[in-house]
Amino acid sequence: MGRLSLGHGSGGRLTNDLIKEIASTFARGSGMLEFEDCALLPGGWGVTIDGFTVSPLSFPGGDIGKLAICGSVNDLAVRGVRPLWLAMSLLAEEGLDEEELFVYMRSAASVCAELGVQLVAGDTKVLPRGEADRLYITTCAMGKNEAISPWGIKEVSPGDAIIVSGPVGRHGAVIASLRYDIKLRELESDCAPLWPLIEPLTRLRGVHAARDCTRGGLGTVLCEWAEGANVGIEIDEEAIPADGDVSAVSDILGFDPLYLACEGTAVFAVALERAETVLETLRSHPIGRSAAVIGKATEAHPGLVGLRTAAGGMRVVDMQGGELLPRIC
Amino acid sequence: MCLAVPHTVVKIMDENRALVSTGGVELEVRTDLIEDLQVGDVVLVHAGFVIEKYNEDEGKELESLWEEVMQFASGR
Amino acid sequence: MPQVGDLRAKMSSLLEALDKWLCRPITVMEVCGTHTVSIFRSGIRTMLPEGVRLLSGPGCPVCVTDQAEVDAMVRLAKGPGVVLATYGDMVRVPGSCGSLAEARASGAEVAVVSSAIQALALAGSIQDKEIVFAGIGFETTAPATAVLLREARSKNVKNLSVLSLHKLVPPVLRLLASDPMLNIDGFLLPGHVSTIIGTAPYAFLAEEYGKACAVAGFEPLDIMAGIVEIARQICEGRPAVRRLYGRVVRHEGNVKAQELLEEVFRPASVRWRGIGLVEASGLVLANDYSDFDAYSRFGITLEEVSPPAGCRCGDVLAGRITPPECPLFGRSCTPQFPVGPCMVSSEGSCSAYYRYSSKGVSPWGA
Repeated sequence: MGRLSLGHGSGGRLTNDLIKEIASTFARGSGMLEFEDCALLPGGWGVTIDGFTVSPLSFPGGDIGKLAICGSVNDLAVRGVRPLWLAMSLLAEEGLDEEELFVYMRSAASVCAELGVQLVAGDTKVLPRGEADRLYITTCAMGKNEAISPWGIKEVSPGDAIIVSGPVGRHGAVIASLRYDIKLRELESDCAPLWPLIEPLTRLRGVHAARDCTRGGLGTVLCEWAEGANVGIEIDEEAIPADGDVSAVSDILGFDPLYLACEGTAVFAVALERAETVLETLRSHPIGRSAAVIGKATEAHPGLVGLRTAAGGMRVVDMQGGELLPRIC
Repeated sequence: MCLAVPHTVVKIMDENRALVSTGGVELEVRTDLIEDLQVGDVVLVHAGFVIEKYNEDEGKELESLWEEVMQFASGR
Repeated sequence: MPQVGDLRAKMSSLLEALDKWLCRPITVMEVCGTHTVSIFRSGIRTMLPEGVRLLSGPGCPVCVTDQAEVDAMVRLAKGPGVVLATYGDMVRVPGSCGSLAEARASGAEVAVVSSAIQALALAGSIQDKEIVFAGIGFETTAPATAVLLREARSKNVKNLSVLSLHKLVPPVLRLLASDPMLNIDGFLLPGHVSTIIGTAPYAFLAEEYGKACAVAGFEPLDIMAGIVEIARQICEGRPAVRRLYGRVVRHEGNVKAQELLEEVFRPASVRWRGIGLVEASGLVLANDYSDFDAYSRFGITLEEVSPPAGCRCGDVLAGRITPPECPLFGRSCTPQFPVGPCMVSSEGSCSAYYRYSSKGVSPWGA
């Protein structure tokens, strides 16, 4: 074992491998972790935990407070779990402006109020100057499973339609722009709670799985589905909802929008005969207006995700392989 | 080995800097490698530098290849 | 270019033309990593007929950076009081004692920049450290380093130096064109390098070696048009260097950039990973700029370092084998745990084969 690299935290293959290693340390005696966004517990409860280290703390479309709530409640929502309660831990760096902290707390509180989620427990630590990068937030969200049939990786089946709720890569593109001095006139992070979009789907049959495409992006999620469910997936580049500004930022920095993080965009695997209904339901919500079928799961090439390119060729989509770095080549 | 993207010049900031844009995205770039830049020029940007201006008139060889390709394709 | 019809229809038209003009099996080499990536990302290989063999050449500047040069960069970064600034492309390349990313994880200061000129700002804001800018890239990127040096000299900046790892394309093309083992019929020439150097430096490929050449852009249509043009030249027996990216490539290139390169750099014979010493193929700082040369400021000498056992990056780079033919490919050498730069660099052949063609066994070919 070597040292942890930034790649281990980027959400792709290295992260997955690390999580598996950690989980196997616990498996001896206490039961394996499910590798889903949230865990479903006996009695129909769902629980999840997530840490937020976004830098800068504030960005077009949101801030760390909003992100910290959305991130966790979205992990519940994609398993059909209604978010109800939240526990929150703050690690702040000495010298952080209190007024600034409360801007983020008000953002977080606002999302909770919108969803009817109650903050029930919290903890705050302040670290000496230099030992934390201004503010880290960890949130643990819990709620009640309302999906009428199970949603999870193992349910993804050949023939399923793959549906995306909106243009991909907006959050990742915004953060990268801030990091590398690219000015944005309109583009904002898609950071938003997904429960209002997803709730009507919990009452429909035929929804097999849902994920929010956070670190590692859509590409990584589809690879996880293909490998976890042992199915092939084929998507069409022309069908993926795209944002012109995300494409521009990606072109400048040499990124692929398939791997840029989303924080309010979900992907679904849905039985083919239910795809129309799911699409209509998604499109009737403001954040789902550009929802589209982008492909399907198949029996062919299990474990592999293929993309029909805009040019008409085929290529494989692999998992994001480490830290996303801008390139000039 | 050379990722480069077309942008439109929106502002000349000084003798070696300009603001360029593609859609809703703007970038400050260096213009040391180019002469006579004007607002509205479409330029090729690589690693933060303008390396050339677009000139559609210079695309003759590609145009003539396409003419032959299309003639052949429609002749079938 | 036709004004109407969608991309897939236009690609079909080009494929029809290719069908007509492919008189015999041909081997085409592309020598630009950005072409390598574009080709894979657009899936062009899966659309080409059987008779077109598309080889990836040494056009990935990261991949051709010699092991000794990578080691020098990593050693510098680990030095006390040094901030090593470079493009993101270089950060994960493994040297004999780890990569810059690993050095950073152990406490070295590594700054990723998206433009060379940012190194100047770094030198201004971190006055108590030495900023070393490692310049990689071919003729497209070297002018930016030249601007950095010229400005650093005019502002008398003391805490900045440049480690030039820049290389030149035409010399290595000559080596490839004259290699009887490679049997290359035509070259897809790098569009953006050509923006700087123009098309005259490639004339020898057609005139002396009878190779069919096309200077092409990077969109799928540009690349496919380049391949069609090469096939036609071969079929009609009239090798030439056709400028199919005229919208940004002038025949004479960017003269201002060329003059700047001549002012700041001078050519030197340098080692290309896996290929060896190539005459007059690298750029070192000219005498007037020797004060900013990181090699002399830090007393760096490059010893000959053998690449890791089994690594066949060099053969891949020269187009002698395809990545899946390397015994390490997909086994001990993967994008997560790369052995050689061809697997690290997003433009490296091995990385492209691995990521876009499922370790070279894509169900769709390529």
